[in-house]
Amino acid sequence: MTVVWSAIAGGFLGTLVLTTIVRATSELGLTRMDLALLLGTTVTENRRKARAIGYAIHFVVGPIFALGYAALFVALGHHSWWMGGLFGALHAVFTGTVLANVILPLVHPRIATTDTAANEVSLIEPPGFLMRNYGPNTFLIALVAHVAFGAIVGWAVRI
Amino acid sequence: MDRLWFMRIGDYAPIEDYAVIGDGRTAALVARDGSIDWLCLPNFDSPSVFARVLDAERGGAFELLPTIPFESSRRYLPRTNVLETLFTTDRGAVRVVDALTLPNDRLDPMRELIRAIEGVSGSVPMRWRVSPRFKYAASLPRCEWRHGIPVAASGAEAVAIAHWDAGSPVWRAGAVEAEFDIAAGARACLALAAAYAEPLVIPSRAAVEARLAQTIRFWEEWCRAREYRGPWSELVERSALVLKLLIFAPSGASVAAPTTSLPEDIGGERNWDYRFCWIRDSNFIISALLQLGCHREARSQFWWFMQATALTEPELHVLYRLDGGIGIDEHDIALEGYRGSRPVRVGNGALEQTQHDIYGDLLETAWLYSEGHHALDGDTGEVLGRIANRVGEIWRQPDSGIWEVRNGPFHFTHSKVMCWVALDRAVRLAERGELPSRHVSRWRREAAAIRAFVDEQCWSPQLCSYTRTAGSNDVDASLLMISLMQFDDPRGERVAGTIDAVCRLLQAGDFVFRYLADDGVPGGEGCFVNGSFWLVSALARAGRIAEASQLMERLCRRANDVGLYAEEIDPGSGAFLGNFPQALVHLALIDAAIAIRDAS
Repeated sequence: MTVVWSAIAGGFLGTLVLTTIVRATSELGLTRMDLALLLGTTVTENRRKARAIGYAIHFVVGPIFALGYAALFVALGHHSWWMGGLFGALHAVFTGTVLANVILPLVHPRIATTDTAANEVSLIEPPGFLMRNYGPNTFLIALVAHVAFGAIVGWAVRI
Repeated sequence: MDRLWFMRIGDYAPIEDYAVIGDGRTAALVARDGSIDWLCLPNFDSPSVFARVLDAERGGAFELLPTIPFESSRRYLPRTNVLETLFTTDRGAVRVVDALTLPNDRLDPMRELIRAIEGVSGSVPMRWRVSPRFKYAASLPRCEWRHGIPVAASGAEAVAIAHWDAGSPVWRAGAVEAEFDIAAGARACLALAAAYAEPLVIPSRAAVEARLAQTIRFWEEWCRAREYRGPWSELVERSALVLKLLIFAPSGASVAAPTTSLPEDIGGERNWDYRFCWIRDSNFIISALLQLGCHREARSQFWWFMQATALTEPELHVLYRLDGGIGIDEHDIALEGYRGSRPVRVGNGALEQTQHDIYGDLLETAWLYSEGHHALDGDTGEVLGRIANRVGEIWRQPDSGIWEVRNGPFHFTHSKVMCWVALDRAVRLAERGELPSRHVSRWRREAAAIRAFVDEQCWSPQLCSYTRTAGSNDVDASLLMISLMQFDDPRGERVAGTIDAVCRLLQAGDFVFRYLADDGVPGGEGCFVNGSFWLVSALARAGRIAEASQLMERLCRRANDVGLYAEEIDPGSGAFLGNFPQALVHLALIDAAIAIRDAS
């Protein structure tokens, strides 16, 4: 059970840091990525509610990803902050190329895809490859944030 | 509607040829030729996206006009801040409705500018061109597409231009443009959706049309709830709408004007940034809001003033950012300036000045708020008491005064009078139990000392008038406030003499110069429109109602075609000067109309 609880705790702390990095860089004008809005609008059209729900979803999903990281650590029989950071980097590349670029627009009811035209409902601008639609720095920020997430999880997990 | 030919002077529209639209967060200036030449996003005090009004070549604009010769006329849709421009050509007529829409509970863009185009008659060839230039045109944006929608982005800022039945746009040299024909009965639509630090929301046509209708409905209902009954009701109503439009809804602060650096002197350097909230305007704002029955806005505004000043009290800053902050560095930006009027300034250096009159303005605001049946809480009373104590300590010192002169400090009469107002209102509030009473005797003593100083040092027997500064032999328009603030009997000889001296020495036609003395800034300026309405109020309170009414009538005719005023006016040509539209002028108009109504 130690591995589960330590992964959840590490995931929570990692999500906190990841969210802070993304929001801070957004406020600094480096990206237009808004994780809370993107996640929350899967559930509601109301902007205020969407952000609140989005943050809640993110803090649930973060520890779940951390459990996945922990499973890999157990399978490999080794864990460390740098290995966690490496997983985080892979996680960021996957997010930028597949998760945000392909899967999210397919399942998100309010993100435009190549098949939709903006004539029926209001649509959120899609992230694009490496999320570059939200600014050319966005992938770099996501990479740093995910490496930080992974490193924290790798440090926190107790096998 | 008036039908007027539109004309630009060296690619710059006359200031009086602009109308303003807004959503309580930002505002846009729409020229008579359909070009949106000023828009800051996401807020009033954010950097501009369109600044053609300050740099015709590089500033950026949202143009929408017929491709053939036209004449245009316009109006606000009745009781709204939604603008309607009618273009008439040899081949037909087309109507454009412009609005910054209000949000609803749906997924709407962070900010949204809608331009709905309706064919009225014939078939008119139209052209639109959007050239976004973020951060005061500091750089060209990235110009891209999102599934057929043009998107421009730079850093945390982005705009999308959704379009329906308005041609096939193409990007060309950092601008997206298209041409289309609109026939009678047809309807096209353009929507500029803006985002800051978040993904763009690209609206659907149905949502855009619904928000436009909802925005019109909101303004109509807001206007219908106002309580003014009296003369010049149309202009008072327009002024109320301007005032509401200039209140920054996220904080409750009122922006003095939504523009920066529209010059007080064409080609000169009297170009200031007015996108802040001045404590000085507070009493006029609260007074107007309460008189118009805007109690929610008055409450919000009063609490904003108290919260903003909480960081610095008992010292007050002259102006605050719209979020209540005090970091407002003044610097120049690399734009050409309206008709070459440089520098273009961002921020306001008046922040660093000492201006004592603002203490009177804040205490007068509290008094008016209390008079409007809004009780002050104990903590607020303590703060106001400390501010009154501070006035007792500083009133003997010179300051830069209401006009923010840059060659001071001087012993301005107006500043002394407003210090008296601060102490007088503190005493009145203490007598009502809303301020602590332990310092009342001191406040009375200091108020009496100020009165003696003004009576002895700030009165000129030669002029038969109060003077601009202690011991001087000239006047300024702020002396008209003496009766408005009840420092002296509005119908007494001294006030009458001062009104006559202001008319004699400062009036040019219907308008009043602020002063004629040197103020430490090179160049001249136009007449101060505010002062003209103060003169109306002073005349009305002096019982000279016929004079007041006649002047008011003439001043009302000097508004532009949609009922707006800039800060200043050239008394000869009638051209507008300075930032536009200016809240204080519209507040003074409301006060003047009410003064005449009440005196009558």
